[in-house]
Parts: sequence; structure tokens; C-alpha cells
Amino acid sequence: MLRKRRRRVAAKDFNFAHGEFVLLGAYITYLVYSYGLPVWLGMLTAPLVVAAIGFILERLVIRRFYAVPIIAMLGIYALGLIIREGVRGLIGGLNISVPEPIVGSLTIAGVHLSRWRLAIVVITTLAMIACYLPLTRTSFGLRVRAALENPSLARVSGISTNTIYAVTFTFGTPLAGLAGALVVPVFSLFADLGIRFLIQGFLAIMLGGIGTFEGSVAGAGVVGVLSAALPWAVAPVLADVMVFVIVIVFVKFRPGGLLAGRRI
Amino acid sequence: MGEKKEDKCSPPIISRRRLLQSVAWMSGAMATRVGCWSVRSDWANAAAGPIKVGIATDITGAIAYVGNACANVAKMVVEDVNNAGGILGRPIELIIVDTASNESVGVANVRRLIQRDKVDVVLGGITSSMRNAIKDAIVTRGKTLYIYPEQYEGKECTSYLFCTGPTPAQQCDQIIPWLIKNGGKRFALPSANYIWPRVLNKYARELIETNGGEVIFEEYYPLDQMEYSATVNNIMTNNVEVVFNTIIAPGVGPFFKQLYQAGFGKRGGRLAEKGAARLENDEQKTVLESVEWLLQGKDGLTQIFSNDKKLRICRSYLTRGLWAAFTIGVLAPKDLVFEGEAKPEQILRNATAAAAREAKCSPSALLRQSEGLPEGRISGSS
Repeated sequence: MLRKRRRRVAAKDFNFAHGEFVLLGAYITYLVYSYGLPVWLGMLTAPLVVAAIGFILERLVIRRFYAVPIIAMLGIYALGLIIREGVRGLIGGLNISVPEPIVGSLTIAGVHLSRWRLAIVVITTLAMIACYLPLTRTSFGLRVRAALENPSLARVSGISTNTIYAVTFTFGTPLAGLAGALVVPVFSLFADLGIRFLIQGFLAIMLGGIGTFEGSVAGAGVVGVLSAALPWAVAPVLADVMVFVIVIVFVKFRPGGLLAGRRI
Repeated sequence: MGEKKEDKCSPPIISRRRLLQSVAWMSGAMATRVGCWSVRSDWANAAAGPIKVGIATDITGAIAYVGNACANVAKMVVEDVNNAGGILGRPIELIIVDTASNESVGVANVRRLIQRDKVDVVLGGITSSMRNAIKDAIVTRGKTLYIYPEQYEGKECTSYLFCTGPTPAQQCDQIIPWLIKNGGKRFALPSANYIWPRVLNKYARELIETNGGEVIFEEYYPLDQMEYSATVNNIMTNNVEVVFNTIIAPGVGPFFKQLYQAGFGKRGGRLAEKGAARLENDEQKTVLESVEWLLQGKDGLTQIFSNDKKLRICRSYLTRGLWAAFTIGVLAPKDLVFEGEAKPEQILRNATAAAAREAKCSPSALLRQSEGLPEGRISGSS
């Protein structure tokens, strides 16, 4: 099934903790649910709480790394490990199931589609539009793009790139939190939930082209379709590997990604 | 062990050269496995002290829902044995290590069990891949007894290693003809990609075909796969009547959920789940809710598994009860192979009643559940 996955890249550094923010979103949804409150409330709370955590981490740790991108990646990865193992400790290393807010399935042209999965597609599309419009239509979006494309020129032009990075990072985390909250009923909650998403997100960015919004979305679409469609055609164990092979071969011949040269 | 020995040899101040040498020596020793000394269990010494029993089980990770039950029951049984005076006047000392559903972690921890704790016997390993990973450390280099108590794929013939679980013949010989007679002829074998499902399916396929059934597909998925839309659609569109599942956690929950939502149960499909007797925690709750059409006893069980604090206590005891029942089942696999309703139900009923007594909570609720459990269409061969 096609489920578009979105990944934000802060300052061309890959956010290696992104999968863990997905995990945090899932965990918070479970936490709210475990107090007897409805699941959808957990899903609303999750992005907000994850945003708060993201903001705190950004202020405390990540902002100190902006000058050293490689170390930043390692530092963020370390943060991710702390979050992952922390959640593992909190949930006791178990796999915990969370129910869907919308149950049941629809049959369209002989194919069974779960209602909740359709809801995920709708919510993700809305979230993507909500990200795309500010990025392309506002002056702040322009500054974000400037800081991404040419940080030094942006700084010369009086844009505080550090502020921009802080805002984009803090804005990216609730998106991850939302993703986690939405998928937890489908996948159940466990500490390694984020890893698969991180790898697939990484592939999507690689395929779509680094630093563009449309590229990431298109890449995510392609990776999603590939990993969902390949098991229909070839042995599932093989399909898992083939997604990677296809993406790597594609990037080899088109290093700029799907939408190379076309930027917003 | 390696580090200890090294510490003794090292001079008080380690120069860089010395450190490099040590590191090279140690990594060389580790790579060639010279560094991992095989330590014989000291039987003469142990005669005076307690009998050391090592439990290596998956307390965390994907299979934790089984591993925790194992550890709990081990504690319960050891407590009982010690209260009754131990074995031949000697108490049992229980050492539990976590294999974390991860073979490399498992090997490291089991090695510690053998080399540091010098246990007399090791019990554990849940998946066959875990058994294969840790058995070398236990039996070959450790020369320690190893009892593997799970259902498995057979074909294991190693000295010091005793497998007490049911083999494919015991897992399939009765259930598959029964399923063909009562469920349907069209089988699907969705499986996790490791040794147990592969060997078991080979046996199951033969049995299905000789009994006049038909295998529609036999597919293997990566162990961490969570997405089974293709599989479920395959099952639904090919009109599969029996799903003989060997997908394990973490995929099994999502798979059952998707199968349920696609309406497989409503259509009269039957699900043979080899681990069905292990209905003990939250992950299994998903399984439970999803296979309600199999269980017919949903409301009570989910009530126990709900988040009510009082029931939480019951639940831990129910876990013990069910796992005890499971262990009994493993010891007498013939009794638990699904034929009708009587015997497994009886075992579960007794175990649950005992658990309820111990938990001092209403036994009627617990009992109701045990009645609903092995009924109808579920295969309780494990």
C-alpha cells in the first residue's frame, strides 16, 4: 500500500535521530492511550510533545553542532540512541499494540483497504500541503530555502541561519511525531520502530535529491510504491533487498535524484 | 575472561605500544576463538553448593512476550522446588540472562553464563535460530548440558543438547489432517524467514499434499517485516481456506490484524497458529482480538488483559498459569495436539484456577476464559 513518508533534512545534515522522533510519537500515543484516554487524543498530543522535546534538544544540544556538520550527524545519532534505548527501557523491551481510532475496511474493486490506512494517506497529504505552502508562499519559506541552498550567502544577506535551522529542526520533529502516532496502530510499538523508517527515509531523500521538498516527497512515493509492490512480484525476502539495489543503481546514473535541477 | 587475564599480564602503566599489542593480541584471540576458553563445569565443587541452573531467554525484544513468561515460570518453579527442599537436599540457584531476541547479544550473555557463572545446566533459547547461535558456546566449548524446551524443526543431534519440544511430526501429524477434514483444502504457509518455518513447512507441505490438500503459496518474509498487504490480498483473492502461520513476533500481530480486517475470519477461514497457547500479554492481546473468531471467548480474556490495575496483578499470575499449562503441554505434546476440546482445556482450566487462587482474584472470570481458549478452530499443538 502506498504510504508517503516525509522526511525533513536540517541544513543538509541527515537527521539520524528522525526515526527516534517517530518512535517518540508512537510512544506518546501509547502513553496517552494507556491512561485510558482515546487513541486519537494521543495522536493529537504526540506531535506537540515531540515538538517540545525537539525544541529542548535543539536548544540544549543540537545548536552547538551547527558549525561541525559531520560531528553533528554523529551527535544527533547519539541522541537517537539515547531516545531509543530510553523508550526500550520504559516499555520494558516489549512489543505493545495500540488500537486504530478507525476500524474496519473498505472493499474497492476487489481490494481490501483498511479504513485507518486510508485515513493515514489523507492526513499525510494534508500535512504535506501544510508544509509545502509556507515553504513556497511565504517570505520565511524563502529564507529557509536560502539558508539550505547557500548558507554563507544567506548569512551575508542578513539571515540568521542558526535561527532558521533551529526553527526547521523544531518544525521537523512534530512531523516525525505525527508519523509515529499515525503508524503505531499499524505496526505496534517497539523500540526499533524508527530504524526502518530512518533507512527508508534516507533512501527516499537519496532518490529524490538532497535538499528539495518535491524531491523528498517524490522519492518517498517511489520507495513506498517499490517496497509495497515488489513483494507481489518477487519473493518478499528478495524484495526487501531489491528496493535498495534499485535505488542505488538509479542514483548511480542520476546522482542528482529524481527531480535534479528542478527546485522550488 | 579475556579481559581479566589481560589485566594480570599488563604492566601498571600501559604504553601506547603495549596497548596496541594487547589489542591486537586480544582481537586475534577473539577472532580465532582462542580467547574464549572453554570452561568445564566444576561438578566436584558444585556438590557442596547449590545446583546452578541458567535460563537464557528473550526477556526483551520482539519475542519478549514469550521470554518473560519463561523467566516467570522458571522463578515460580524454582521457588516451589526450593520450598520443597530442593533436589537431593541441594537448593537450585537460578541465573537468568536475557538473550534480547538478538542472536549476537544472546551468544555474549550465554557465554557469561557458562564462563563466569559456571552453571550446571542451561535451559532456554526460544527461536531455533537462537538455539543454533548459543548451542556452540554451551555444549561445544562449555561442555555444559543444554535443554531446549521449545517446539522446533527436529534434525538436531548434538551431544549435551536435549530437545524436549515437539518435532514437525508432533506439530503437524494430527492438526493438518484435522484441518483438511474440518477447515478446507486450500492452505497458505506464510512464514518468517528462518530455519524453523522452512523445515516445518517442508514437512507440512508433504502432509498437506498426501492428505489431499493443496498449498496455494509458501512465502518467507524478513523477520522484521510489519507490512503484509500483499500476503493478505493473496490469501483473500486465492480463496485460501487455512492459513498455517509460522510468522513470529514482531510481524505476527500486524499480520493477524490485517488478516482480520480483510475479513478472512468472517469468510470462514481458519488460522493455525503454532504458538496459540501463549496468550499472555499485550502483544498477544492484538493477536487475541484479531483471532476472536477463532476463540469465541473474547470478552472475558480481553477483560483480563485490559489496563485495569487490579487485573494487572491477575494477569501476571495468569501468565504464570498459562505458561505452566504450556510447559505441561510441551512435556506431553500428544495431549495438546489438537483433536477435540477436552484435554488442553482441562490443563488450562486447572492451571488458571490455580493461578486465580494464588492471585486471590475472582476465579470465575479467569475460568471462563480458559474455557473459551482452546476451543473451536484453533490449533493448540504447541
